[in-house]
Amino acid sequence: MPERQICYQDVQIGDALGPQELFLSKDQVRAYARTTGMWVPRFTDDEGARKEGLPGMITPGNMSLALLSKLVTDWIGESNAKLVRLGTTYRQPVIPDHTIVLQGFVTHTDDAERTAEMDIWIEDEDTERLVIGTATVKFAE
Amino acid sequence: MVDYDPNLIGRVFEVTDPVPVTAEMVADFCKATGEGGRSYTDAEAAKKGHLGGIVAPPSFAVTFRNGRQFFEHIPRFGRQGFDAGKDVEFVEPIRPGDTITLSSHVKEIYEKTGRTGSMVFVIVRSTLMNQNGDVVAHVDHRFMNRP
Repeated sequence: MPERQICYQDVQIGDALGPQELFLSKDQVRAYARTTGMWVPRFTDDEGARKEGLPGMITPGNMSLALLSKLVTDWIGESNAKLVRLGTTYRQPVIPDHTIVLQGFVTHTDDAERTAEMDIWIEDEDTERLVIGTATVKFAE
Repeated sequence: MVDYDPNLIGRVFEVTDPVPVTAEMVADFCKATGEGGRSYTDAEAAKKGHLGGIVAPPSFAVTFRNGRQFFEHIPRFGRQGFDAGKDVEFVEPIRPGDTITLSSHVKEIYEKTGRTGSMVFVIVRSTLMNQNGDVVAHVDHRFMNRP
């Protein structure tokens, strides 16, 4: 299947990113922690995390950022455009071994800059927004 | 008003050793995050694309670790402090073969009052540069403290 291609002219305010449903396993979180040098108990081990006062192991904020970045890069696909800015706010811990939903929508476009702004977020099974963010995508001339 | 030494703002307190980026690091990162775009995973297809070869996904920029002194130099206010979020500006793609250096400074300190009381935010900016001296990203770490 060919990868997604969009051009700036096709982008409309309200266009959706996702939703992408993801069962985030503890093993996937551990793989991220191992790969990125974040191998500390709070991200790898329930017992160790509890000793730090957490309910169990949690997902690194950087991994939440990476998942939201992927939501945007999936939206871009193979278009001649790039993610130029991404901001995140960690509101609640993302607990692994649960299903999360990543989604967003386009909030603004700028014809002069050829950019699209979007709100993006991660929510849990109760639609609680755990991580919220905004992103800017710039399209080539 | 939060009280702090104004000389802290803008002073680079740490420059890390250069970190070489390998194709394996990029591939492992893609596997761990599920990034599967051709620009990140398919060398042949990426060569023909507008980026001219494999690049790391944008969020790879936040995986570079700050040095040991990083947390020693972040001003603290009160007992509780945690990572409240990040703002990242992606300037140039990071490619296998690059070497990346981080330099960090305190960008901003401000106080906010919310429903749960007063909070002090410390913004530390890490600028990532490649072996050519080109800025590839700015990562603003937002630390929240409760005085």
